[in-house]
Amino acid sequence: MKNQNLLKSALLSASLLVAANIVSAETFRWASKTDPQTMDPHAVSSAPVLSFLNNIYEGLVRRGRDMSIEPSLAASWEPLDGENGWRFNLREGVTFQDGADLTAEDVLFSYQRAASEESDVRSWFAPVSDVRVIDDHTIDFITKAPNPLFPDSIANFMILDKGWAERNDAALPARDAENFATMNVNGTGPFTLQSRDPGVRTVLVPNANWWDTPEHNVTEATFTPIGNSATGLAALLSGEIDFIQPIPLQDVQQVESRDGFKVLEGEETRVIMFGFPHEHEKLLYSTNESDSNPFSDPRVRLAAAHALDIDSIDRVLFRGKIGAASQLVPAGISGYSEANGNRPAYDPERAKALLAEAGYSDGFSFGLKCPNDRYINDEALCRAAASMFAAVGLNAELSTGPVRDYWPQLREDDFDMYLLGWSPGTFDMEHPIRFLLHSQDNEKKLGSWNFGNYSNARVDELLPMIQQEIDPENRQKLIDELVAITQEEVAYIPLYTQPLIWASKDNIDLTQRADNFFMLRWVTVN
Amino acid sequence: MLAFIKRREPFWLFVHSPSAMIAAFLTALIILGALFAPLIAPSNPYDLSSFSLMDGLLPPVWQDGGRSAFLLGTDDQGRDMISSILYGARLSLVIGLTAMVIATVLGVGLGLAAGYFGGRFDAVIMRIADVQLALPAILTALLIDGIARGILPTEIQQNMRVTVLTLAIALSLWVNFARTARASTFVEKNKEYVEAAIIMGQHPLRIMLIQILPNIVGPLLVIMTVDLASAILLEATLSFLGIGLPADSPSLGTLIRIGMQFLLSGEWWILWIPTVFLIVLVVAINVLGDFLRDIFNPGLR
Amino acid sequence: MAYFILKRLVQSVFVMIAVAFLAFSLFRFVGDPVSQMTGVETTVEDQDRLREGLGLNDPFVVQFIRFSSDLLRGDFGFSYRTRQPVAEMITNRIPATLELGVVALLISLIVGIPAGVYTALRPRGIATQLILMTTLVGVSIPTFVIGIMLIFLFGVQLGLLPTFGRGGTVHIGSWESSLFTFDGWKSLILPAVTLGVYQLTLTMRLVRAQMMDVMRSDYIRFAMARGVPLHSLYFRHALANTMVPVITIIGLQFGGVIAFSIVTESVFQWPGMGLLFLESIRFVDIPVMGVYLVVIAFFFVLVNLIVDLLYFAIDPRLRVKEDV
Repeated sequence: MKNQNLLKSALLSASLLVAANIVSAETFRWASKTDPQTMDPHAVSSAPVLSFLNNIYEGLVRRGRDMSIEPSLAASWEPLDGENGWRFNLREGVTFQDGADLTAEDVLFSYQRAASEESDVRSWFAPVSDVRVIDDHTIDFITKAPNPLFPDSIANFMILDKGWAERNDAALPARDAENFATMNVNGTGPFTLQSRDPGVRTVLVPNANWWDTPEHNVTEATFTPIGNSATGLAALLSGEIDFIQPIPLQDVQQVESRDGFKVLEGEETRVIMFGFPHEHEKLLYSTNESDSNPFSDPRVRLAAAHALDIDSIDRVLFRGKIGAASQLVPAGISGYSEANGNRPAYDPERAKALLAEAGYSDGFSFGLKCPNDRYINDEALCRAAASMFAAVGLNAELSTGPVRDYWPQLREDDFDMYLLGWSPGTFDMEHPIRFLLHSQDNEKKLGSWNFGNYSNARVDELLPMIQQEIDPENRQKLIDELVAITQEEVAYIPLYTQPLIWASKDNIDLTQRADNFFMLRWVTVN
Repeated sequence: MLAFIKRREPFWLFVHSPSAMIAAFLTALIILGALFAPLIAPSNPYDLSSFSLMDGLLPPVWQDGGRSAFLLGTDDQGRDMISSILYGARLSLVIGLTAMVIATVLGVGLGLAAGYFGGRFDAVIMRIADVQLALPAILTALLIDGIARGILPTEIQQNMRVTVLTLAIALSLWVNFARTARASTFVEKNKEYVEAAIIMGQHPLRIMLIQILPNIVGPLLVIMTVDLASAILLEATLSFLGIGLPADSPSLGTLIRIGMQFLLSGEWWILWIPTVFLIVLVVAINVLGDFLRDIFNPGLR
Repeated sequence: MAYFILKRLVQSVFVMIAVAFLAFSLFRFVGDPVSQMTGVETTVEDQDRLREGLGLNDPFVVQFIRFSSDLLRGDFGFSYRTRQPVAEMITNRIPATLELGVVALLISLIVGIPAGVYTALRPRGIATQLILMTTLVGVSIPTFVIGIMLIFLFGVQLGLLPTFGRGGTVHIGSWESSLFTFDGWKSLILPAVTLGVYQLTLTMRLVRAQMMDVMRSDYIRFAMARGVPLHSLYFRHALANTMVPVITIIGLQFGGVIAFSIVTESVFQWPGMGLLFLESIRFVDIPVMGVYLVVIAFFFVLVNLIVDLLYFAIDPRLRVKEDV
């Protein structure tokens, strides 16, 4: 009897030991460039914040590994009958991390919070005219017009508990000063916050009461921001972190050549492009064409497009990791126009001929503005482009600067040509049309990133039709027409799709999603 | 052959100091190279049409894939490394020397005066120095850059980056000179020879320049040499922090900053050739400075 | 003496005000905070409302008066970037920077002064030439290159030392220290050496120059002739006489250490004030930048005050003059 007990307890402690071993092996440490500014999901609409908080909070819908929309806090949804809008049927039995039940009231509260003036994500709800709670687990979002894409557009709309937020004076997002939700969380998601030292270390632990079945085996996850890429790479190679996003392109080979590490490569959905001063009367930085604006002539814009050798840029600057872009979204994004999949070929002779045709056979000089800390190799790209432009007589005076200074310059129309990257927030072609191609219209909040104010009446007309068209085939026809117009007029020069380069230790399995969001719930430590 | 040269005269010392001769030779070589860069460099890195991305990332000629047209290889834009370095040295030397001269004149002038007159004047100067010290170089650069942007028309701002950077570096270095000159002046001022000059009714300016200055040249020269080096390095550091020169103006600093991206990528030449060049230049200047210090120091004679 | 201190304190207040003013006036040039605080989809209208709410549309003078009167009332405001109280953010970061700076300064003094004395006494020795050359090469490489190289050598290749951060820290009251754990020290070595190299060379060269001057002075020659023991001569008489400029430089160096710690902290992801400041520049986080500068100015004023007081202690002649 006694012996049996002894054996039992020995076995028990042995199995405990094994369990303890497994547990301690699954601590996961990762790094990225920027610390999420806040833990409040409605206060800042930036990729570091939304990406990080997707581990803690959840939306009505969520995106899967392949970016497809799948049920999350809403188990199902359908368009409303006889009214524009959508009905969401909430999942039963979901609790917040503090134990409170998820109800439609929480969704309504989160909507009001996210659509408030203090929120930075309120533009998602611009199409919404009303939200009605039907019962504890049913809620309707009424839209001003038919909106087939609405569920897709709110994948990052994260739900807070009404009681928790109100109890802690966090009923509104913190805009100027902190509130409880800046440093504390209470989500429904797979992880919860254990500790946070902003800019230094943030520790997450699994949420034991998560409604979904975990696919990860992480027991503790530590995030550290490392701003300097070389330091971040060193931290990975020395084994101090398990995963880092992103690493510089030129270091891929170095990581791959070392035992125990691997590189994850993919394409982000961000298209890099050059923009023109369509509306300017004259060039600002030209030494020989300061009275007119040659770029108002589509032939000159096309000449600029023909001057660029994307293959060489790819080979030398991006080590063969980019795909040329023909339009403002990459292939694979919904609404991508297959019919218009070609971009102007590299053809300096044709570029020179076009310039001569337009009356600039001797070329002209202009100012090219580029950020130097926003996109991968942005400065090197612009230097290479300037050199290629020069070869056909387009003498670019390149000026680069940090992005904190760059956006204000673009907003003030201080450019002759500029670099821009765009990632479609809704993963649909409609997004860049709304922000980059529609004429600037502050009232309707359209064309807000169309700095050069490209304007075409037909394009403006097509946007609402595209937004409201329910039949996919008809919708695609409308988009094809629009893309053809903007290509013919060379509204922008789309260059390429930005690559995504992550690196991890060999024993880590994870999913690289095209929106550059890193999801802890898909991490397996082997 | 050199028998007619008097022992212990500067030139005698020079020819008897191999390190000084080597340093002088290297410095002269680099300065000449920089001066005549437009004549001797294979291409002009400022001329966008003179290089092509197609030639990017070529290794030096002795490595596989190197081409004789680019003896030391090319960078990620296809710029010839030799040309970049020659033009880079040119720009770096101009910035470094100008900044150092401005800092020296400003700093020594103010320091001497502060140390000599003392009192309220001294207090004001030293408090200004405190303000300056409290602003790290990066901030001074941002400030001057900002002011320039505020008052200059946009067209010429891009061309002003060199001036802005030079001024910023000069302003962040003058305090060293001022404080050292002041501290030494305090000590010298109370020595008999200065007190004698004051009693003889000499003009303060004369006393400062003729009596005091030569006696504090030793420590100042040390600072000057170190600071010429640090002016060149500061330019690189400011570039690293993102407020230096644009990448298409090759200074040694921007070349190194760009090269840093290739630290691990296998294209070692993009980082190490400009870095080694910078080290040689700075070390040579420092060795020369040491030598000059020995000469100018009256104690040696 | 009391009068002197009082006078210096009054002057110090002016220095602080000047720094605050300069600092504040440059913020307008750094960039637009609002475009950094908001997402891409935020409308221009919402941005303007935010700008108005933060008082960024007010005239410069109004903004400055508001900033300084808030400071005087001890209200340091909230960060634009993280929305946290700035006072808390800065005080959390002070220990990291000070510990790094002090250790770097100590390294530079402990190595620099003896090296300076040695190279002064044996100016033609091979070791001297070697030391001089090595340190010269050391200061000829930009700090950020040295930092990265040390990281790759000791962190990645040899795997001896951590590549980033502070390692294990211990809270002593509100002071988060890395000086009390082995791990913390391991993390501290590389950044401190990187930061100290430049200061070390400067100290060494200065001590050497001063020492050589002093050794040639008449009273040392006289003492030598009288047969004063050499070590007493070197260290009691000669070294003591080099201390005035050396103390000046140490005072100056602490400033340099703090200023350069921005680069070192950025390379080593060292969570000090410098790193915070760099991040703040990137996000145009005006409140944090402002308070950082005022705090730095305060440190400088304090250090300078101490340096001046030390002058008094060392050179009695100054005391007589200043007190008059």
